[in-house]
Amino acid sequence: MLAHKEAQKRDWKIVAALTVWAAYVRLWKIWQPSSVVFDEVHFGGFAAKYIRTRFFMDVHPPLAKMLIALVAKLSGFDGVFDFKDIGKDYIESDVPYVPIRVFCGICGLLVVPIAYLTMRGSGHSVAAGLVVALMVCYENGLIANNRLILLDPPLLFFTAATTLMWINFHNQKNKPFQFWWYTWLALTGLGLGLTVSCKWVGLFTIATIGVSTIKNLWDLWGDSRIPNVFVRHFLARAACLIALPVVVYMLMFGIHFHSLPNSGEGDGFMSPEFQQTLAGHSMADTPIDIAYGSNVYLRHVATRGGYLHSHPHDYLTGSKQQQVTLYPHRDNNNWWTIHKSTTNETVGIEYVKDNDIIRLIHRDTGKRLHSHEHRPPMTDLDYHNEVSAYGFPGFNGDANDFWRVEIIDHDKRDPESEDRLRTIHSRFRLIHVMSGCSLFSHSVKLPEWGFGQQEVTCIKSGKIPKTVWYIESTENSQLPDDTEKVNYNRPGFIGKFLELNKVMWDTNKGLTASHPYDSRPSSWPVLKRGINFWGKGDLGLHIYLLGNPLVFWGSTVAIFSYIAIKAVFLLLEKRGFQTDFGGLRKFYDESAGFFLMGWCFHYFPFFLMGRQLFLHHYMPALYFAILLFGVGFDLLTIRLVNRKRLIAAAAFVMCVIYVYRSFIPITYGEPWTKKDCEKAKWLPTWDFDCIQFRDDISAYYPDGKQPKLELMQEAIKSYFAPAESKEQAAAAIDAVNIISDGIVLAAQSDPVLKENPQQQVTDVDAQG
Amino acid sequence: MTDPALRKRRNYDENSLQNGSGINVDDYTDDTKKVNVSNLSPSKYSHLIGLSIVTIAGFFVTFYKIWYPAEVVFDEVHFGKFAGYYLRRTYFFDVHPPLAKMMLAAVGYMVGYDGHFEFDNIGDSYIENNVPYIALRALPASLNVFCIALMYSIMKESGYSVCTCFLTASLYLLDNAIVAQHRLIMLDSMLIFFMLATVYSYIRFRKVRHQEFSATWWAWLLATGVTMALTLSVKMVGLFLVAAIGICVIVDLWDLLDIKRGISIDHFIKHFYARALGLIAVPAFIYMFWFYVHFAILVESGPGDTFMSSAFQETLKNSAIKMKSLDIHYNDDIRLMHKDTEKYLHSHDLEYPLRYDDGRISSQGQQVTAITVPDDNSWWRIKPTKEISEDEPVPIIHGDIVQLEHVGTETILLTHDVASPLMSTNEEVTTVDLDERYNETLFQVLFDDHNNGDIWQTYMKAVRLVHMDTKVAIWTHPKNLPDWGLGHQEVNGNKNLMDKSNYWVATEIDGLNATEINLEKKKEIKTIPFIFKFVELLGRMLSHNSGLTKPHPYQSNAISWPLLSRGISYWSKDDTKEQIYMTGNVFGWYLSMVGTIIYTGAIIIDTICRRRDVAWIEEPLRRRLIQSAGFFILLWLLHYIPFFAMGRALFLHHYLPAAACNYLLLGAVFQYLFITSVDSPTSDLRRNQSALEEIHPVGPAHAQTSTQAQPTTKTYIIATIILALQFACFVFLSPLTYGSPGLSIDEVQRRKVFSGWDLQFAK
Repeated sequence: MLAHKEAQKRDWKIVAALTVWAAYVRLWKIWQPSSVVFDEVHFGGFAAKYIRTRFFMDVHPPLAKMLIALVAKLSGFDGVFDFKDIGKDYIESDVPYVPIRVFCGICGLLVVPIAYLTMRGSGHSVAAGLVVALMVCYENGLIANNRLILLDPPLLFFTAATTLMWINFHNQKNKPFQFWWYTWLALTGLGLGLTVSCKWVGLFTIATIGVSTIKNLWDLWGDSRIPNVFVRHFLARAACLIALPVVVYMLMFGIHFHSLPNSGEGDGFMSPEFQQTLAGHSMADTPIDIAYGSNVYLRHVATRGGYLHSHPHDYLTGSKQQQVTLYPHRDNNNWWTIHKSTTNETVGIEYVKDNDIIRLIHRDTGKRLHSHEHRPPMTDLDYHNEVSAYGFPGFNGDANDFWRVEIIDHDKRDPESEDRLRTIHSRFRLIHVMSGCSLFSHSVKLPEWGFGQQEVTCIKSGKIPKTVWYIESTENSQLPDDTEKVNYNRPGFIGKFLELNKVMWDTNKGLTASHPYDSRPSSWPVLKRGINFWGKGDLGLHIYLLGNPLVFWGSTVAIFSYIAIKAVFLLLEKRGFQTDFGGLRKFYDESAGFFLMGWCFHYFPFFLMGRQLFLHHYMPALYFAILLFGVGFDLLTIRLVNRKRLIAAAAFVMCVIYVYRSFIPITYGEPWTKKDCEKAKWLPTWDFDCIQFRDDISAYYPDGKQPKLELMQEAIKSYFAPAESKEQAAAAIDAVNIISDGIVLAAQSDPVLKENPQQQVTDVDAQG
Repeated sequence: MTDPALRKRRNYDENSLQNGSGINVDDYTDDTKKVNVSNLSPSKYSHLIGLSIVTIAGFFVTFYKIWYPAEVVFDEVHFGKFAGYYLRRTYFFDVHPPLAKMMLAAVGYMVGYDGHFEFDNIGDSYIENNVPYIALRALPASLNVFCIALMYSIMKESGYSVCTCFLTASLYLLDNAIVAQHRLIMLDSMLIFFMLATVYSYIRFRKVRHQEFSATWWAWLLATGVTMALTLSVKMVGLFLVAAIGICVIVDLWDLLDIKRGISIDHFIKHFYARALGLIAVPAFIYMFWFYVHFAILVESGPGDTFMSSAFQETLKNSAIKMKSLDIHYNDDIRLMHKDTEKYLHSHDLEYPLRYDDGRISSQGQQVTAITVPDDNSWWRIKPTKEISEDEPVPIIHGDIVQLEHVGTETILLTHDVASPLMSTNEEVTTVDLDERYNETLFQVLFDDHNNGDIWQTYMKAVRLVHMDTKVAIWTHPKNLPDWGLGHQEVNGNKNLMDKSNYWVATEIDGLNATEINLEKKKEIKTIPFIFKFVELLGRMLSHNSGLTKPHPYQSNAISWPLLSRGISYWSKDDTKEQIYMTGNVFGWYLSMVGTIIYTGAIIIDTICRRRDVAWIEEPLRRRLIQSAGFFILLWLLHYIPFFAMGRALFLHHYLPAAACNYLLLGAVFQYLFITSVDSPTSDLRRNQSALEEIHPVGPAHAQTSTQAQPTTKTYIIATIILALQFACFVFLSPLTYGSPGLSIDEVQRRKVFSGWDLQFAK
């Protein structure tokens, strides 16, 4: 018991040390570069939109973006900066980007102590825990990705934390239904909800935990000694791992909607009903009855293009008559007046019924909606006719102005809307009487002369959806003041939630355009190529997302070795060779099996995705692969005594750090030389842009001296001294100690440092 | 199945559970009790009668009005045409392996058809064009009759009762989709026939597993391998069958490996090699054999030429490419066509603008572009960079370093480290005056293949032009320059030297008429080893197949197939209002889906119960459900699920093999629900010497009682009802299946079972 307490105390010390250490590595020079990097374009931009409280649409759930926005708001960001292009300067515009990056950086660096605790929680050695934590800490890809304003740092943090909670829960399996059992279970559920609220990749975490739970329940079910508590086990898990995440996920959307009450650039993605819930869109109630002489807004159903519109500009093609388009905003040029085909006069109130033949007159220009045998401007197909607005004073129009109303759908709660036109409730087509075609629109934009508005044509034998219209607003002076009014049914929270998720899903699926730096999943574990994050030729600096090859390749090797060993054991077992190595095999199988499953679930689903994918999508899977590597390390060094084990760990971490140092310039955006850069291209497929760097490192310091040279050397010397003495003391083993050893060793073994003292300063600077 | 007696707790033997994991008809670890097999099959004659009835009925259903319509229907367009190419020995290209098409061609050959008809359009008349189409259709139709017999036999060999066998085969027989598809000149009948034959052979093989390495054992093993290869030689879909058999064999071997069976490793390896020989080596040989025959028949150049490499084309008689091809020598003026975009390298007397719209700066050199129709400015002279003899022309060979002179402006092609107008990652290509910047004007000529010599020839060789100084390849891509570049396509230097789109083909040499020169020369036909041809064709088939993404009006999603939400309009005739609309028997397909759901549910519930030591399904029945019905559901899954991952255009008829497997499963579920017991054992349990020597069973030898399925009156009534409904549905839809008689609008409307069915003449 005492030993256990001691061990726990030591663990907390190590965790504290790791956190401080990781904070140094991860947050070092966090202010550089002082301009927009890669996807900060999007996620910085979203923060600005939250602050301006304007509704927007994004394919990711809101939590991580809201956290970023919250930090931005607290640090005084006004939301004016638009994050429009990579490389746009922050300092000129006075954007408090450093606190936001620090927040993301903290999320990212907390993964380091969490990784250590996860390994310890699974029962592995201190050495294995340190190896894993420091591999995570010195993973260049994680560093580059987790210190910027992106969604990946919170996502990875929640993924890692959830895994840790689950392992803690698992450790309580002998004390079911007690306080800590429930606590860890509930925290796992909370973690799942938060993870999936950052990015849908969290679903993979849910799958990992889900399968683990099913296996868990299957074991309980087979244990006939516990007859009656199975249901209780089941219900506890269902409540915490299904209900709780769903509630958390929905709560995040609740906050999201609450934070964005105003209409904004995301409106166009949503249905008109949804838009009604946004300030700036609210439409006044409008009379429900449509009579001859009513002015109406005609809205297209299938595209989100808006209202039937005309304006005093002519087509440059076809008949050269006045344009008819679809325009997304409310505007006086959207008003059309309904007239009978026979006369312009209206006497009293006569409703427009199904199958009536009408004319539509553009209120402001007085021209009539018209169609004829001309091809439309963009869709030059035989079965499309041009639609124009035609007429002049004194001309009574011709038969090509006649349209037949064909109601095809209606609101079931308003039976009248089936027989005659009623605002919003009736959905109808407009059939051109002379040619039998129907009024149609699709998301094809007119060129500049049509102001980029959506094309309207008349299509013959077109499919139903894109030929359906409804009336959104109407006014008719003849209707009495107390006439029945109508408005959209505003969707409740659930309706909005479901709609937004569906739109997100569809948009996500549509992200298929190729990106110059996208990659397929098969290339990730071998680290075939990175991503160009940022580059500034005039500064001679460049950031390129590239993992630490040793960590990537090492973890991949660990995965394949584990699978191979597992297969060999299966075969041996089948042939009657059975040994459990005194319980060790079961122990390693359990944790390695779980981590492998985590890796599989966070990796293989990407193969099924058609959308564009990037190297940083591999990061959660990489985390599990590193954990698996730690298990392998533990297994390999199982015969060593503690001290030797730690030395082995130190030796390996040394190598990781050595490799990490080779890529510091493209990780943090530091000075480099073209020559060194070319040398660092271990694989020909790594395409970081060496031309961006200068020929000579001193070219970065035009005033001839590097900053604070002496000062740093001093600092380094004074730092090393106590480390060495500690090494002699030897008995006390903690993380800081090991890492300092590493630096001493690295400094001695690194030939570059000896040959190039100038280099040494910059490098050690990165190192500490 | 709800009988409470079945739910009793019972202790079952752990051992039998483990051995039961294999997919096989039945599996007993011991047979100390000799079972008299002949006693167990009193229904031998009834099986014979059942089989005969179903087969004869199948003949009539399939061959009914086989002469109608006497017009080209749907994909007969392709497969009839391909058969014709075999008969004319003209090279063609298709994404499917050759066997089924050669079978059709063989029938055509036997009835004296010369392959003259082109099968150009759906609706072309056979009679006017004098095509023996009935003979051609008779082949798939006869195979369908065999399919019906195989369906029956598979069920019979798996130990189902006469009633079940008869029902299963009849359901298959009365399926509209299968009848419609299998009486026309298409490949699916051959595919399903060979597939069912493989399943049948494998079941027979499993049944003689106790007589290992006996003659029968070898015969059925080889039969499985051969039929599997034949399936694969019809369509690539055969791979799904290979996967299914593969999984079964792996499970089987895994069981054999079990130490509890007492088989020595040597003996196990013998088993392994036997299967490797029978199921890998022999099938591979047969598969390749058909391609050998394919190449042996098709010796004339034809429409398939352009799909193949130039080296391949040279092996064909009268190859067009060979007639056009000439050796290229130094100082020849040639045209260079980009292979992918078919644009010609071009330059003209205009310069790149100093500053582009995005602010980047150019070298202001002369523009180099690519154009669709070559003109006088598309001649390029190949200049040597080494000493060449002046007396006789020196050919250009692979690896030569050359300069390219633009003949029209007398300037030299050059590229350098300046960003191209449209792509900042690629280098600008321009020209400079003769003798300027010599080192930057050197290009290395690298060929795509060396199969037929190292001399650069027009048409025959595609080359990359790799810049010596900066290591980029001259490249173009379908993006046009703005007005200042006359809207020509941009040419630039591609840093990715291995890019597949880097290749250019020389098309013409100024002043030489290739045809005249080649007529005089009369080049001999070259040969390349079969294996190279085979690999090349296989690669092109695969890449072409995945490239079939062009949408087709009647394509459908895999998810919609079992629900039959849409069919395919195969053929229609306006004046008689007749049409063939390919769609399944709605009743049968939905019943199959219900069967699948019942099966899955039963297995899941039973597994959960067994975890608590409750045997929900009796052991012999469960074993049959897992081993026999499990095999069927595996077949169904493997013939269906992979389609979800395919990007190419998919059609309802791709589901037919899966539908056939689904009927097998339905039969098994029928037996489980309405007969509840099984005929057991179905295998010959007598062990031969080899098996007896090797197998030392451990654990208690449990006595096997033989059981006999006893169908009741209820069973027959239900079977009759199912059959009657299937028959009614078949007859109701049969005008759409046989293409006659014509239907009135009302009748068509009534047959529109689902709103997605786009029948003709419905309005």
